[in-house]
This record gives sequence, structure tokens and C-alpha cells, in this order.
Amino acid sequence: MIHPAETQVTPSTTVRRERMLPAPGDVLVRVGERVEPTQVVARADMPGDFRILHVAHALGVPISRVKRCLRVNLGDEVQRGQVLAKRGRLSASAVKSPIDGSVTAIGGGRILIEAPYTPFELRASIYGTVSHVLERHGVVIETTGAVVQGAWGAGGESLGVLRCMVKSPDEPLQAKAIDPSCHGTILVGGSGVSDAALKRAQELQVRGIVVGGLLPELISQVEPLPFPVVVTECIGGVPMSAPIFRLLTAYDGQEASISGRTQLRWGIVRPEIVIPLPADTSPPAQAQPGAPLTVGARVRLVRAPYLGVAGTVVALPAHAHPIETGARVHGAQVDIGQGAPVFVPLVNLEVLR
Amino acid sequence: MAEEKHIGSILLADCGTVTTKVVLLEQVAGQYRFVARGEALTTAEPPWSNVAAGVRHAVEQISEATGQRFFDAGGDLISPASAGRQGVDAFAATASASQPLQVVLGGLVHDLSVASAERAVAGTYALIKATLAGDGREGTLSEEERVRTIRNAAPDVICIAGGIEGGAATPVLELVESAALACSMMDTSVRTRVLYMGNSQLRQQVVRIMEGQGELRVADNVRPTSTEENLLSAQMELDAIYVQDKMGRLPGIGTVNGWSSVPLMPTARAFGRLVQYLWHLGEPSRGVLGVDVGAASTTVAAVFGGQLCLTIRGDLGVAFGGEQLLQKRGAETITRWLPEPMSSDEVQEIFINTEIRPSSIPQEMRELRLEQALARAAIRTALEIAHPGWKPGVAQPYPHLLPLCDTIVVSGGALVHAPYPGQVALIVLDALEPIGISTLVLDVYDLAPALGNVAAVAPLAAVEALDNGALVNLATVVTPVGLARPGDTVLQMQVTYDDGGTLSAEVHYGDLEVLPLPAGQQAVLELRPLRHFDVGLGGPGKAGKRRVSGGLAGLIIDARGRPLPLSDKPEQRQAQVRQWLQAVGG
Repeated sequence: MIHPAETQVTPSTTVRRERMLPAPGDVLVRVGERVEPTQVVARADMPGDFRILHVAHALGVPISRVKRCLRVNLGDEVQRGQVLAKRGRLSASAVKSPIDGSVTAIGGGRILIEAPYTPFELRASIYGTVSHVLERHGVVIETTGAVVQGAWGAGGESLGVLRCMVKSPDEPLQAKAIDPSCHGTILVGGSGVSDAALKRAQELQVRGIVVGGLLPELISQVEPLPFPVVVTECIGGVPMSAPIFRLLTAYDGQEASISGRTQLRWGIVRPEIVIPLPADTSPPAQAQPGAPLTVGARVRLVRAPYLGVAGTVVALPAHAHPIETGARVHGAQVDIGQGAPVFVPLVNLEVLR
Repeated sequence: MAEEKHIGSILLADCGTVTTKVVLLEQVAGQYRFVARGEALTTAEPPWSNVAAGVRHAVEQISEATGQRFFDAGGDLISPASAGRQGVDAFAATASASQPLQVVLGGLVHDLSVASAERAVAGTYALIKATLAGDGREGTLSEEERVRTIRNAAPDVICIAGGIEGGAATPVLELVESAALACSMMDTSVRTRVLYMGNSQLRQQVVRIMEGQGELRVADNVRPTSTEENLLSAQMELDAIYVQDKMGRLPGIGTVNGWSSVPLMPTARAFGRLVQYLWHLGEPSRGVLGVDVGAASTTVAAVFGGQLCLTIRGDLGVAFGGEQLLQKRGAETITRWLPEPMSSDEVQEIFINTEIRPSSIPQEMRELRLEQALARAAIRTALEIAHPGWKPGVAQPYPHLLPLCDTIVVSGGALVHAPYPGQVALIVLDALEPIGISTLVLDVYDLAPALGNVAAVAPLAAVEALDNGALVNLATVVTPVGLARPGDTVLQMQVTYDDGGTLSAEVHYGDLEVLPLPAGQQAVLELRPLRHFDVGLGGPGKAGKRRVSGGLAGLIIDARGRPLPLSDKPEQRQAQVRQWLQAVGG
């Protein structure tokens, strides 16, 4: 039995998303509460800036004399420009605070000023119901929706109306297609996106971009964009796989949450698009996540020469077969809709669930 | 007297970052033998989020092959084995699937204490997030900058080295003060540990500075004198922190641990043990090396004089880390090993896509060549850290070259699963550049780390499994060292096979040749170096005979030169690489 990697591409499923604070804080919602994407569900105080001021050196006094020069005490709140230490009453030399904050340490002839904590607000990001509260750390939100997991992404999270910009999955997203009506929408392209289209999308303040592939030279341009970008297949110029394109076009004009956050190991986070469905929608029964691969499974091929091609497993040969590199590997016969099925190593398959 | 528990069967698991491997050893005719192997995706991440699932999936494959059942209906391991081919007598596991320790390193001089601390850190799965050095190579940092660096890095451990015994005090204590201040500014629930591995005479002051600021651990000075290095104590501390903080937090690892009668061990540490064991079987004046290129990390284990030096690149394997290496060192670090041109954009594209799907394998020759080029670069970068820390003694006739090593163990998925044995041999020769006479042994079942761990369960099992083919000879390699012009004859040799047949050959400088000597056969080599070349038989020009074993890739004569001369011109270099690949049948 083989348990291959999986990617969610489903028109209706129960979606559970963990929303975690970057540091311990306060959870503001309760189990059972309905939440909206922009709603703050938890909050944490993040450490602010700080300064270490070498008072002894600045005033030209020995460390033992610094205490006498201090004009503040441990724990005092201070304002930017406030005198913290001074050498005698008449001397002009003084040490002033470069920031607003409080005195959190004094010693060794130095003062540590820490700026106030900056609040971090964690938003729900999707419509749903709080199913779990993880005390001080976050929440789990549950909803019913369509889900498309991407392969690579950049940027944070956003919300907008899906707008399909191309007619086929092998058509790239072009700048000329992006007009003012795209403002506030999530643009769905096909095989990729051009440099000019990225600039145009930024000008028109779109909420996100979803494409099949992204050329490696555009990665550095995509990363600083103010909106998320989700690449569904891989880095490179490849068409969006047919099942993903079909699903996204089916929801053209509907509101969706998009996340470009990607972490490829140690707590994997995959970019995704979640399209909420009416609360009374019951998702159909689905194969258990992580279930073994079977004939009939809908799969995507993840290495060249079939990178990004979707198909159906038609046979699981018992014996290893040779591939172009000379390696003999266990694989599957996959119907990719182009004549005879192709043999693909099992490890180069991803089940579309 | 208590009766010793009989162990007739053992399951050994290794939970890697990408794949989990399990092997079954059983006593057959009184000896432990390899019986079956299973491999599955590691399941530390969703939808499973439980590494035990991956072990069960791999064991299912063993069940399919042997007809044995190992788990009960509740998913628990049946142990000890019971009648009716159910269960197993013992289980042991290694793991490398956890996130490496995040480390900030502080020291005084880059080439001394900082370098030693780096090697200490490299003894476990760790990533150095930032280095604070007192010699100002990156510009001397102010205290505020040091604290900011630590706070931004948010490390698991701050390692502070510096000061030979009785040496510098103030700059070391300043580093400790910065670490203490940075710790004091962190939330108490996430405070970083400090591991002090500097001048031992400052320990009391270090304890005073750290008091109430964060957890302090103390190890022996890693650089007690300017010429001496002592990494063991610091490595043990770091290993303990890794096991507790990282391995212990792998989801489901408690279940896997519960099946085992011995503690879980980091994969690289277990691999090091096996290499150390092999050293004891060989010529003590020479070394034994092991290279393990995994999906996410690369390990070089070296044993000289019985002492193990373990070096792990926790950020670089054939699935992860390629793109970062590309950004840091440029494409040529990798593409120089390719037989055809490849743009850096294409390299980046393939590397990122491999990181997205780390369990996938190259299906096209072009991608396979790139993976194997990355394997070479990964070993070489690990070697850069490792080599200066070795104490090979007489095994090191040429300081700038690899010491003399009798055996080189080759492990890790990318190497073990290479389509042709010649490809693996060439990767190892290009990456390590061994000298003299070495035997390359291949960990065909990818179980070397597991064998390193099995001694804790059944000491005989590792020995007998090795005797029964767990490691297979890949090749015997003869590498003459010296200076000559390309085409000059540097070695005359005769191979006398056990069946009485002989083969004579003249080796020319620049050649890479493979002579027939299949696995399982032995032969006597008679080597007569010319032009004062050294083949590791006692010095330059020394001739002699040596009985050697054959291997999957035959008997390789590598007279390409040391250091390996790679042309600066891409087209010439690619032609060289093509020629070498052709020579080894890769």
C-alpha cells in the first residue's frame, strides 16, 4: 500500500484552519462563535524596539558614578528626548532617550530603554465557526467551502471576489487584460503572469493573483507585493492543471479568502484559496485524508516531463519499471488524456483530494 | 541469574525529513540477516501529523513482502514476537525529521574559537542563524547590535565560545552580557538557552551574569589553546538539547519511542557510530569516512585514531537547501559538475520545485544530473567545515588533501538510489577526492544509521548484518598523488585475479579508468608508481602489493589529479565531466 502526498482541490469540504498567534496572547472568541474573515480573533503584544545607552561613556564618568548621574529609575516610563542622565546640574552633557518607552534595565554604566509593546491582531481570515480555542495561542475555525491548495506562494492573506482573466489554463495573465474593474478582486490567470501584469495589478490594487506557474526571475518581484500570489503547480511556465482551473472558473465572481503564506518544511504551510459555501451546505463524503493510493484516484504529476499534468490512475503495476534516468522504480499507469497511459513513479504523484 | 532475553527479530526505523525507512532483521541459521525493507513518506505533517503513521506505512510493505503481521488492531506494535509470525522481539528508531536547533554563535576570533564552535554546533542537527565574532570580520558589532541580532534570530540556543584557557576575559564576558540582556527581553515562556563553551576560568562570572536571565548550560572550552580543539562536551550538550527540544516534539514520536526498548537516537549520531565501528575493523593508522546525503541534510562522519568527528549540514540535502546554496555561492558551485549547460534560472526553478515536492525523484536525465551535482556540492560544503577539525595524525600525508581512508561508507537516498553504481562512485570521488587506496562501500538498503543504533538492542546484530551484506562494496579506488603533465605515465599496475588471470595497465596522469573487478571477487594489485607519485603504500614512489575486493562499479583508477583540476572554461569542463561519466558508466 502506498500513501502518496496529497493536495486539496475540492468543490466542497469541511475546512478546518488553525489560526495561531506569533507569541502567547489573548484569544478573543469562544467555541461556537461565528466569525468573519476580517474579525480579530486573538491579540498579542509583540516586543517593540529598544536602545542600549552607554551612559558612563557618553558622560565620560566611571561606571561607579553613573548612579549619581541618573535622572530616571528602573521601571520609569520615558519620552523621546527626555533626559535620562546628566553630569552635574550645570553641565551641558546629558543622555536623552532616543525613543518613547520604559527603563527596563540599569547596570554596568548602561540603560536599557524598551519601547512599548506593539499589538498584533490575528484575524479569522475565513468565514466560519470557532471549533477550538487553543488557550493563549489561537483558534481553530471550521467552515464548509471549496478549497484549492497551491504549490508555492508569497505575501499574506486577503479577501476578494474571484475573477477569471483567461479562457484556458494555458493562457498567461497579461497586463492588457487588467483594467480598473479588477480593483479589489483576486485575479485568476492560467499558465503564468508577466512582469507588466504584476505591475498593473499592483497599480489597480488587486487583492490577490492565482496562476499555474511563475517564472523564477519573477520571484523577487512577487515577494514584496502588497497582495498574496498563489502558484498552483510549480515554479516555471506551466499551465494551471485542468481540475484546478475548472474549479476556480466555476466560482468566478464569488468571494474567496486567499493566503500566499508558504512554509515548505518544519510546520508545512501551503498557500490556498478557500471559497466559502452557504452554512447549510453539507460536504459530500470523501476519502479519508492520507488514505492509500488506489486505481481510479485523481492525481497530479509533479516532475518533468509531466509537471503539472493531471490524470487518473488506471493501474498499479506490482513490479518496478525503468524510467528515462535508468532507475527502476515502482509506479502507476496514469491516464493523462493523451493516448496511452503513462508510467509515473509513485513518488512523483500527488493525490488531488 | 536472570535469563537473557532472546532477540530473534528486530525492526529498525529511521524517520527522515521526507521518508521513513524500516528494515527487518531476523536470526536465520543463528545469524542476523536483512529480511525485508519498507519505505514510506514521513508523516510528521498534515494530513497525518504523526510520525508513527509513516512507520506503520513502511512496516505494511514489510508485512506484504513477508506475510508477517507486526501491529495489532489498535495500531500497537506486537512485541515480543508471538507464534504464528506475529510481531517482533525488538524495535529501535533513529530520527532526523525534526527542525534543526536554531543557534546564534558568539566567539572571539573567526579562525579559532568561532571555527571550533561552528564545528561543535555541526555535530548535531543545527542551523547557525547568526554569528557574533569579536574580531570584527563583519565589522565590530555594538552591544545593541549584538542584542538585536540575537532577538531577531530568536534562536533555541546561544553558544558562546572564546578565550583560550586563562586567556581573554573581557570580550568573552561582553558576549555573555549581550546574551543575558537579549534573554531578559524575551517572554519567560520562550527564553533562549545559553551554552557557554569558552574559557573555563570565567565560568563563575558567566553564572553570575546569567543568573535570573535564562537557562545556562556549561561545556568544556572548545578551544582550550590556540592549537587544540575539544568539541566532545559541547556536542553532547547540544545533542541533549536537540533530543529534548526538537526530536521530543515531533508529533507522534512518543508512540514510536514507546515501541522501543532503547532511547531514540538522532540519525547522524547513529550513522557516526557505525562508521566508528568500521574503523575498529580496519588498519588503525588510517581513517574511515562516511557520507550520508539525505533529502534535508548532509552528514560527514570521520574516524581517525578511534575518535569520531561528526559534521552535519542540517540545511543542505538533495531536496532542501539547493536554492539557498545557489543564492549564497552562485550557480557555478553546482553547475560545474554538469555535463551540459544549465542556466541559473533553470537550476533555481528545479530546486524550488524539488523543495515543494521533496519526495519526488528526477524522471529526466537533466534533472538527475542536477541532483547529483547538488549532492557533490553538499558533501564538499560539509567537508569544508569538517576537515579542519580532524586529527588524522599519520593518515594525513598532505595537509591540503583528504587523509588516507581505508573505507568510505556511502549512504543516503540520493546516492543509494542512483540508477548506476558508477554515478555514485563518481559523486564520491569528485566530492571527497580521496587519495591512495580506498574501498567505497554502499549502504544498499539505506540502513546504515539503523545499524549504528542496533548495537544498543542486540550488539551482535550490527556485526552479523554487516557480514551478511548490509553494506555492499561499491568500488576499490586507487588514486595516485603527485605532479605531472597530462598524459604522463604515473603508475604501472598489475591485477592478479583469484582465478589466476592477470591484467596489466599503465595509468596516465589525467585518466579516470575502470578495470573489471566485480563485487564478490578479490584480486591482488601490484602498484608501481612513477615520477615520485604516491599511491598510499608508504610514501612517494613506494611500490607494493595490496589485496582488494571488487565492487558494483569495479576497480577505479583515479589519476585525474589532486586537487581535482576542473577547467575554468565551461565548455571544456562539461566535456571533462562527460568523459568522466562515460568512464565510470554513468
